[in-house]
Amino acid sequence: MTGNQYTPCGTIDHGLARRQFMGEFLTGAGTIAGTSLFSHPIGAGEIARQSRSVVVVFLNGGISQFESWDPKSDLETGGPFRSIATSVPGIHVSELLPRTAQQMHHMALVRSVSTDLDDHGLANNLVRSGRMTRSATEYPELGAVVARGLERPDFPLPGHITTMVGGVGGRANNAAYLGPRYASVAVGAENGGIVNTQLPEGMTVAVDSRRHDWRRFVNSRHRSRVQSAEMDAYTQSYEQALRLMERRELFDISQETDTVQQAYGKSEFGKQLLLARRLVEQEVPFIEIQHAGWDFHHNNFEFHLHYVADFDSPFAHFLTDLAQRGLLERTLVIVMTEFGRTPSINAGYGRDHYPKAWSIAAAGCGIQHGAVIGSTDAKGVEVTDRKVDHRHLFHTWLRAVGIDSSSQFDIGGRKFPIADPAFGPIEELLA
Amino acid sequence: MTTHRNQFAPHAAHNLSDWTATAKLLCCRVDPAGKFVAAGAIDHTIQRWEIATGQRVTLAAHENWVRMLSFSPDGSTLHSGGYDGRWIAWDIHAETPQPRQIIQAHQGWLRGLAVSHDGLRVVTCGNDRLVKVWSTTDQQVISTLTGHPHIPYCVQFVPGSYEVVSGDIVGNIFHWNADHGGPARKFDASEIHSNVGDLAPFGGIISLTFSPCGKRITASGLHKVSNAPAGNRRAVAVSFDWATGEKLPKQECLRKDLDATMWRAVYHPGGTLIGIAEKEIGFWNPGEEDVFHLVPTPEHIFDCDLHPNQIDLYTAHFDGHLRAFRLAAAEAQP
Repeated sequence: MTGNQYTPCGTIDHGLARRQFMGEFLTGAGTIAGTSLFSHPIGAGEIARQSRSVVVVFLNGGISQFESWDPKSDLETGGPFRSIATSVPGIHVSELLPRTAQQMHHMALVRSVSTDLDDHGLANNLVRSGRMTRSATEYPELGAVVARGLERPDFPLPGHITTMVGGVGGRANNAAYLGPRYASVAVGAENGGIVNTQLPEGMTVAVDSRRHDWRRFVNSRHRSRVQSAEMDAYTQSYEQALRLMERRELFDISQETDTVQQAYGKSEFGKQLLLARRLVEQEVPFIEIQHAGWDFHHNNFEFHLHYVADFDSPFAHFLTDLAQRGLLERTLVIVMTEFGRTPSINAGYGRDHYPKAWSIAAAGCGIQHGAVIGSTDAKGVEVTDRKVDHRHLFHTWLRAVGIDSSSQFDIGGRKFPIADPAFGPIEELLA
Repeated sequence: MTTHRNQFAPHAAHNLSDWTATAKLLCCRVDPAGKFVAAGAIDHTIQRWEIATGQRVTLAAHENWVRMLSFSPDGSTLHSGGYDGRWIAWDIHAETPQPRQIIQAHQGWLRGLAVSHDGLRVVTCGNDRLVKVWSTTDQQVISTLTGHPHIPYCVQFVPGSYEVVSGDIVGNIFHWNADHGGPARKFDASEIHSNVGDLAPFGGIISLTFSPCGKRITASGLHKVSNAPAGNRRAVAVSFDWATGEKLPKQECLRKDLDATMWRAVYHPGGTLIGIAEKEIGFWNPGEEDVFHLVPTPEHIFDCDLHPNQIDLYTAHFDGHLRAFRLAAAEAQP
């Protein structure tokens, strides 16, 4: 379906949004109907690719590259942490990452990320969407694009999940023109699975089923007269919630053995990683874990001492666990942040925002393990080799899981490049 | 050495000297004989100045930031501790001081170090959450004190004894028996720490000092944290009656909005509490909550020490300068 078929109310927005659910897109120069965004012909390989997952660990606030992936221990401004060897000869990271360092053979580092924005919100959007949001156009975030690109018919779970500890949230507004179907769903995990998903006391399954039958009937009648993307999304959310309830045990990390739970640790971050592993097993396309609070303008070294320790052990175990279960070969893990921190030290022994030269790490499928892309100068002020930015990275993440980042979405006849067409992936980072 | 208690006049404070080090300074101490002042820097060095001439010598043996200094009572030995976990003893009177001994005292950062009244013992603490008492004679551990639930920041000997006090990052002050056993007493100063999320404590007992009469123990640090990663907090000193453990009124800077940590508080022999907070040197009368005077300085101060003449205060600054302020009228002479 490529023509413009507007909803009864006749708004283009509705027409565009409705088409978001139709799964039409262009790839390369021409329209391909009813196919996918994969970068290779359909076949057994595509099926394998469809089971791929992306897990983003987002270190919100801006982790310091010096205190993580690009240590400069010999510098006066390099801070008090030393660099340590990793499982890949020649690659060193901060001593704050002793366990992750031993997983470097699964990982790659990009030490030459250079962006322009030093505002948290704007930079956050930049790295997530791979482009600068304009007032006229918002771009879908990586999670939405991956959920769309790796979508499979009748997949029972949301394709784009943000994990939480406890509670359950709604959908975020991060899918732009792809529509709310691909927006992130916040799902909490605690003992017993998702909260608020048990039937109320006294409510039987049969009664509950009749309630839903009635809702579907009323919705169907209403939809026969009025159609809107919002209504479709609302209906879809109900159905998805029902499917989640049917699979609440997937979110119950207490079903893991004590040994497994202890290996991930008792921290909120560890629990979320364990949940992420369970969701990867279910082939959820995109899972994001937030690890917030890295904005250390003050007391940077003390705070990194504690924060990186909280990250290191569970994250290293997550990679180990994925690898041992054979999941890492189909899972791309990205440790993302919105910018780096200044190579200088301020008077509060903090580091401020620094988008000019920073680092990002990845692991798992589709990337060259043990690769280090780019470098910064001796003082970490400038990128001296292979400068890349959010646009290159966005292409790279998609290509790593087999999505053709040069293809386009066709939304109501308008073509939207999946990633910035003026840029491409970091080829040497790709496997 | 004559003292000049009567000349102590913070309102007349003025800059006495301004010496440049090789890097940002974290700590400083004046030798009890008043001949040298030493400062530890983030370039892993210690700088020693001869006070009379301003002549500077660099001491290099640490392999990380130099966090704490303490002189032996006779002034012959400088003990240093650093983020390399090392305790190093230096013959400080040598023309070019060399390490007399280098001891790997702690796993991870060494945070605090102090010398006993007779110079025979050193106490240290570090990121391994241990407090260790050492013999300076044979450099062997006399006792390892365990019990801090989090990282201990600072240590002191109780004046005139081998008993130890230590303060940690979550606001516990432990008073330990001399050589063995767990803490004999705990002072709860947890009000001067906060948490960033559930992950990182912020504040705690940054420094510990005893009043000249020995009746109060005072911890310096920070409180009123509104945004820790941005550094929004206020400097504070919390005191306890040493005999009863009773908490005494806090001392803070109420007359000026300062996002600050009180990195060190020291007592003038006359009883005035001197605290450094950001770029200011504050002065409190005993028992009074607010400062009675503030002396501005050009840069952030991270440590200070009083010269034995009792009117010169040496301050270690973020800009790599060691400054001295005479806390007396210009005509006063030590």
